[in-house]
Amino acid sequence: MENLVQNIINALQWGSFYALIALGYTLVYGVLTLINFAHGDVFMVGAYIAFFSATFLLTTLGLPGWIALALCIPVTMILTAMVGVTLERIAYRPLRNKGAHRLYVVITALMCGLILEHANLAIFGASRKAFPQLIAEHVYTIGGVTFTNLKIAVIATAFLAFLFLHWMVTRTRVGMAMRAISYDKFAVPLLGIPLDRIIVVTFILGSGFAGLAGLLFAMSYPVLEPYMGALIGWKAFIAAVVGGIGDIRGAFLGGFLLGAVEIMVVAFFPSTFRDLIAFTVLLLILTWKPTGLFGIAKTTKI
Amino acid sequence: MLLSIENLCVKYGNIQPLHGITFHVNEGEIVTLIGANGAGKTTILYSIARLPPPEAPRVISGDIVFQGQSILQTTPSDVVKNLHLALSPEGRRIFGNLTVWENLKLATYARAKEADLGKEYDYVFTLFPRLKERRNQRSESLSGGEQQMLAVGRALMTGCKTLLLDEPSMGLAPVLKYELFRKLKQLNEEGMTILLVEQNANLALHLAHRGYVLDTGTIVAAGTSAELLGNPEVKKAYLGG
Repeated sequence: MENLVQNIINALQWGSFYALIALGYTLVYGVLTLINFAHGDVFMVGAYIAFFSATFLLTTLGLPGWIALALCIPVTMILTAMVGVTLERIAYRPLRNKGAHRLYVVITALMCGLILEHANLAIFGASRKAFPQLIAEHVYTIGGVTFTNLKIAVIATAFLAFLFLHWMVTRTRVGMAMRAISYDKFAVPLLGIPLDRIIVVTFILGSGFAGLAGLLFAMSYPVLEPYMGALIGWKAFIAAVVGGIGDIRGAFLGGFLLGAVEIMVVAFFPSTFRDLIAFTVLLLILTWKPTGLFGIAKTTKI
Repeated sequence: MLLSIENLCVKYGNIQPLHGITFHVNEGEIVTLIGANGAGKTTILYSIARLPPPEAPRVISGDIVFQGQSILQTTPSDVVKNLHLALSPEGRRIFGNLTVWENLKLATYARAKEADLGKEYDYVFTLFPRLKERRNQRSESLSGGEQQMLAVGRALMTGCKTLLLDEPSMGLAPVLKYELFRKLKQLNEEGMTILLVEQNANLALHLAHRGYVLDTGTIVAAGTSAELLGNPEVKKAYLGG
């Protein structure tokens, strides 16, 4: 029993990272039907931005850890959002305006991700960076179940991010515009809505939360390297697809599902089996429901 | 003159659907463009709405003048926001994944914050009571006629003073057609300027004050509705004898 609760907490924490990153994939896909393959690397850039701002605030300015953290969160989110918006502006928008086929935009996204990775490698070198400790980690033990303040914060952040995005997409006019674009891009400008502005908002949201995920990840696993975003990005993308890409509930659920499967596999099998079994399970889910858990089969309308 | 199209020529790629179109719309009028499929009617509306690429027809010569100013450099969202000109496109193009209410609310995106929207929602719901009954339904579950009403209601919620309508009667049962056209007449009597594109020439000419007949990108006849209805050639080609 204790073991199960412990594993659930671990799964929620691990799944939170997938969920936060998957939200960005699904938002951009929902609006542009673009699989933004650079998104995992935007997460990596977010972790590095967090690293540099945390080091600067702690060491150069000598601020106390909790103030540094309080400043680090908005700084990382804003700067990472700017990276996402820049990618949209210089790489995706020109292609879109020329009416390029989606395939070319996806390939462009893939290349943007590689450029981010290797620019990082070229500028900061291959050596790993150790993330400074911002706040002291407290370990709590209740009835044989251990958790830390950081783990709880990660899980709470993922839930808050989801609630915020869900509110935004269902209740605000910007969110309605995002859903409208996913249904029929043609009619959106006819209502006086500037299409490009809505797309920029989408990238701000997706990249901002990827930055937040990067900060939390770096705090939880304080070793940074240029390729850290690649595999976790792929996995978050798969989580978004399994959940039903284009639907934020799907991304959220898919992220936690993948986290849970991975943790549960490790609990019962050797850890080398983790990805093999995790992806087999996801494959079976997709075979059973190819549009993902929340996905609806799209009918093309004329 | 509210809107005037001056010797307009446009291209899609290498295809030129309009060859020097000239016509105008006065404030408070209903003007109709009639003609067969492929005559260039929709292209004219897209040109006025300044749609972005790839749908946008590229203007190669001529001008579109609204309230005395050329609007060729205006963005599509500014056409709605600043010129109060809204297009209800062919095939309705409502957002099926949003509810009726969300479709209407979304149309107020560019409105000034202080605008009294409550009154305008009431106006749309009085004009089309069916929309009020179905306000919380996903709009793709509406019937064709209701979807058309939503498309018109949505255009109205942008706060437009000039309404461009593309084939509003298409696919509607006769009873619904007449009902919709009565509503359009009511809108016009309350001050709305309407530019109506229709294949159903008979219906359109009975609603409009004036009309233009289009054939493969040029205007071949013009006049008041009565004149066009009495014109033997128009009768033969577009009014079924």
